Amino acid sequence: MLLDDLLSRRLVILSGKGGTGKSVVGTALALAAGERGKRVLLVEIDAPLEASRYLGAEPVGTREAEVRPGLFTVNLDPAAVMDEYVRSVVRVDLLARRVLQSPVYRRFFAAAPGLPELMVLGKIMVLEEARASRFSARPRYDLIVVDAPATGHGLSFLKVPLAASRAVPVGPIGHNARRILAMLQDAARTALVLVAVPEEMAVVEAQELRDAAVEELGIAPAALVLNQCHQRRFTGEQEAEILRLVAEGASGRLARGVGLRSALAAARRHLRRRKLTQFYQARLRRTLPLPTVTLPYLFDEDIGPSSIERLARRLEAA
Amino acid sequence: MKPTRADRGSRALAAALVERRVLVVCGSGGVGKTTTAAALALQAALEGRQVLVCTIDPARRLATSLGLASLEGRPRRLDLTRVAPRAAGTLWAMTLDTRRTFDAIVEKHASSEAARRRILDNRFYRQVSSALAGSHEYMAMEKLLELSADERFDLVVLDTPPTRHALDFLEAPDRLMGFLDTSVLRWFLKPYFVAGRLTLKVATRTGAFALELADRFLGLQFLQDLSEFFLAFEGMYEGFKERAAKVHELLRGEDSGFVLVAGPARATLDEARYFYRRLREKDMTFVGLIVNRVHPDPMADAGPVPRRPAPVDADLARALLRLMEDQGRVARRERRGIARLEGEVAEPLILVPELDADVHDLRGLLQIGELVLGGGRVRPRPRRRNAELQAQGRR
Repeated sequence: MLLDDLLSRRLVILSGKGGTGKSVVGTALALAAGERGKRVLLVEIDAPLEASRYLGAEPVGTREAEVRPGLFTVNLDPAAVMDEYVRSVVRVDLLARRVLQSPVYRRFFAAAPGLPELMVLGKIMVLEEARASRFSARPRYDLIVVDAPATGHGLSFLKVPLAASRAVPVGPIGHNARRILAMLQDAARTALVLVAVPEEMAVVEAQELRDAAVEELGIAPAALVLNQCHQRRFTGEQEAEILRLVAEGASGRLARGVGLRSALAAARRHLRRRKLTQFYQARLRRTLPLPTVTLPYLFDEDIGPSSIERLARRLEAA
Repeated sequence: MKPTRADRGSRALAAALVERRVLVVCGSGGVGKTTTAAALALQAALEGRQVLVCTIDPARRLATSLGLASLEGRPRRLDLTRVAPRAAGTLWAMTLDTRRTFDAIVEKHASSEAARRRILDNRFYRQVSSALAGSHEYMAMEKLLELSADERFDLVVLDTPPTRHALDFLEAPDRLMGFLDTSVLRWFLKPYFVAGRLTLKVATRTGAFALELADRFLGLQFLQDLSEFFLAFEGMYEGFKERAAKVHELLRGEDSGFVLVAGPARATLDEARYFYRRLREKDMTFVGLIVNRVHPDPMADAGPVPRRPAPVDADLARALLRLMEDQGRVARRERRGIARLEGEVAEPLILVPELDADVHDLRGLLQIGELVLGGGRVRPRPRRRNAELQAQGRR
């Protein structure tokens, strides 16, 4: 259901506090879309190339690369995107090189607030509008998933087109900023998905992000992904039994080399985290009533392709 | 007792809390950087210092850490009586308000009333000062300089936005100096951009070429606006440059230290390694390397296992063993990543275990601070106060 809704759009932007696992969620979402036969592009921004590693592929650079059949990833480096833009405007190679090598250009680009963000969003728009070939009406990608920078900066990232269109109403910058903003605000094309984990600060930031997106940008988030949820592992009776044993200070041998006390300490940690998961799930249902999917905390020894596949199946079932 | 490697890490950090005047806390998002900054600031206040903790992250996390609904753009003194009634020092907190900081600089440094109005009314300025990513870093830099000179505080603890952006902050002085130094600025200040005087009769061929290109990329209107914006600031550039140079010095001076915070997940440990290398290249000094929220291995420090079987049924025993295996895998996953970081850094790491509950009030911050400084406190606190603190913590 949720996946159907998201896959009906062209662009899915994931945003949330750092450490909520946006890259993992983005990779799983791209994988789930790919399983449905979509051509998907997963976009990371100036990132340490996590997505490809999760998929067990070689790190991907600033060019789009197919890491699985139908699944592409790219790492957008703002400076490289800007250079590419210069080359597309200045078609003569020698002249382009002169611009690119000029200290004026380098230092202006490095120092101008907002310009890198605008360039990256512009590139995402170009990718969204790209056709499969010159003679085809079919888009090059059915779906683009963007792993946006963490909130705080994630929001200023999305605010840039609005600010730029106000600062420079006329000319190519204002024109493109308005087109980007229109794309972001068009609910048929773009879905903003909030990512949180069941912890106070991540939940607060998700709420703040929702409010700011609605009030300042006119974008209503489409869904919430609550990641790293601790799932129920014991029956109600077992939980009561654990608490009783803890209170008694019970001990004994559970298995070879394993004492009951260590097991009870582990169980208590689990029960506390499980309680927090339930608490924040309830609070989010009340304060952030969006279509929500919960993903489990991963106990894998290595977060790799099989972990991502498991999350993708959860997204598929949601 | 011989201090362990971890104790030495804590000890160095505790010393820095007493000796340094600026501590910059950096690391990637979600690793508990803001919480750590606030916890360290609180510890320094307990040691008798006048401490300000300032976050430049526009998401108001520090406010949550400190149990406050919102923090204003100016320092606010926190009430420590409930957690540490006899704290010798004081603790202040604030978040950076980019727009207000920018306005204040204009108010203070503009050459005339007319110049001041010209800037504040500039359309470009209004957007740049409040909305654009990137201006935060410049303003944080200006603010840090101002706060480090503020006599109310003898220690400023600065929280920073996520890794790559924290680097942006640290590089901001150099970027600004680079920009103000070159022909970039002179180029924008040339009269052919100024509204009303736009003639395309440019003297040199290179100039004409550059102008034509700039028009195609950016549009002449934008360049005119930008040029007007830069002209409005004329007379203030030397000041900007001087202050940027001062921050550059301040961050490398003996009074400043960096605290790098990471989480136990592989991605954040990798980023910490990258960040560590970059900061070392820039001659900045680390006073602490913290890995937060490390999950314990359920099999560690198990102690002797009794011979008699545990009083649980087979189903519960199986469920408990499965849980321990799961938690053990997480602990091993984290230990591998931590070992990789450890192999690359010169300083000992401080490992802070995952707490059972979220930290978002002063009492929690106190607990975190004790965990971070743990075995490494420089001088032991008077017994009585310690006991009192513990009693407070239990209540």
